[in-house]
Amino acid sequence: MKIIVCCKIVPNEEEITVQGDRKLDLSAASWKIGQYDLNALESGKQLAAATGGTMTALSVGGPSALDASKIRKDVLSRGPDDLKLVIDGTRDFSDSLQTAKALAGALKTIGDYDVVLCGMGSSDLYLQEVGIQTGALLGLPVLNNVTDIQPAGDGLLRVERTLENEVEVMEVTLPAVLSVSSEINIPSVPAMREIMKAGKKPVEVLGEADGADANLTTLSELAPEQQDRRQHIIEGDGEEAVEALVQFLKKECL
Amino acid sequence: MSIQSVFVISDDLGALNELCGGVKAMADKVTAIVFGGRDTADEAAACGADKLLYCPLDENGAPENYAGPIAEEIKKTGGAAVLFNNSIRSRCLAGMLGVLLDTCVLTSVNELTEQDGELIYRRMVYGGTAQRHERFAKPYGVATLSGGIFEPVTLPATTDIAPIEGAPAAGIKRIARTEKKEGGTNLVAAKRVLDVGRGLAAQEDLEMIRALAKVIGAEVGCSRPVAENNKWLPKANYMGITGVQVKPDFIITLGVSGQVQHIGGINKSKVIISVNKDKAAPIFKNCDFGLVGDIYKIVPALIEKLS
Repeated sequence: MKIIVCCKIVPNEEEITVQGDRKLDLSAASWKIGQYDLNALESGKQLAAATGGTMTALSVGGPSALDASKIRKDVLSRGPDDLKLVIDGTRDFSDSLQTAKALAGALKTIGDYDVVLCGMGSSDLYLQEVGIQTGALLGLPVLNNVTDIQPAGDGLLRVERTLENEVEVMEVTLPAVLSVSSEINIPSVPAMREIMKAGKKPVEVLGEADGADANLTTLSELAPEQQDRRQHIIEGDGEEAVEALVQFLKKECL
Repeated sequence: MSIQSVFVISDDLGALNELCGGVKAMADKVTAIVFGGRDTADEAAACGADKLLYCPLDENGAPENYAGPIAEEIKKTGGAAVLFNNSIRSRCLAGMLGVLLDTCVLTSVNELTEQDGELIYRRMVYGGTAQRHERFAKPYGVATLSGGIFEPVTLPATTDIAPIEGAPAAGIKRIARTEKKEGGTNLVAAKRVLDVGRGLAAQEDLEMIRALAKVIGAEVGCSRPVAENNKWLPKANYMGITGVQVKPDFIITLGVSGQVQHIGGINKSKVIISVNKDKAAPIFKNCDFGLVGDIYKIVPALIEKLS
């Protein structure tokens, strides 16, 4: 089975600083693989192993995110046989359809695949729509919040999808695009030998993204206003501290 | 000036009421779309939309299979905002519909306002580090809205009710379905919440937390790792930007460190009380009252004093 896993390289949100005017400063933030895409990479690795198949990682983004060999190696140490990139500095890929069009274009170029796996959402924008829109653009079956994937014979997968109040088991005809839930697995930490091998795996740049305008206008991006909390902190867990908490609860809450 | 045409599409009738009530004041015409037969439509009529369309489902039918007929209906307007509830199914249908209408989708929108005849959508980005205000640059906009962003209102029931034109697509074959057996919680509506974090050492210790919850009449929620990594509580119980956003009268966080992602789910609480062993935990910058101490000493003492 030929598996393609899409992943987004995102700024590490823990390294984003908030300026005095509540605007964000991303200049010190390093790049990382989106947290939820690690689940998709792990699912791809497991499915490739179960079917004796191959796995290709695919990412779309600007040169600052995708040019660094460190991040490329990080992706390749997590199971893929190779990495394909669409590098385009003219678009910021901050809406789901623009990104989906770029991915769908790349998938058409790649041509031969059985299943495309995406994470639940990117960890920067978390729209949770790119996988669905990519599949819809290609006219393929799509499912979101997938919690289990099992091979089910020729050209079929048995896919579990967990909704709010029920669990569905679906028989999906391939090729298909699946967005996996972050519950589906716990991503493994790459072994040293995987890290060593990663640098030798092929990386191919597919060219620029398919032409697609932005569908949104961003009006502002500001850190939430700091809520004034009283921050009345007491150190200790003895009788006196607990009594202070009880009094606070009785006075303000109960 | 107001928005000409808004479609409200929901697979949950409670959410339908809230959304229709909230957007009615902003739009000239609100069309609601629901999934089910005429009986479902009659039940949904309380939403008060100007028009109600229903999409009949057979036993295996999925709302997603109606993307085509719904897109055709929406395209009759020439331009519209299409608003969904924020369920997993709705997010799937929204994405498919977005492609048919050639637009992107904004999800988990936490504020919707009207300004000069356009809708402005607000949502969290970078794991809660910032809020982005956006508007669509295309004739059609598609969004899913988080629950609880509009105050409930009662509108006169819809009388213009009809089945949607066109047939659903064949869709993906479903071979089994099971209801989830997890005990239901209603954290969104809860007035009192206990919030469990990684400071809890073992799943059995949830009994102690539940005992305290019973004494003060609170619902129990948790931080993401407790639900996702440990799987000690259902995923529906975790609070955060990517989980449930609560707004109780008070919340007591127990062994929660207070990552930005999690704070985004609890910071609408009127009062935040926090217990954590680590004095440097960021939660103490976000609470009204805090105890730097061991939850294993404090929780049993609280149960005793409040019983």
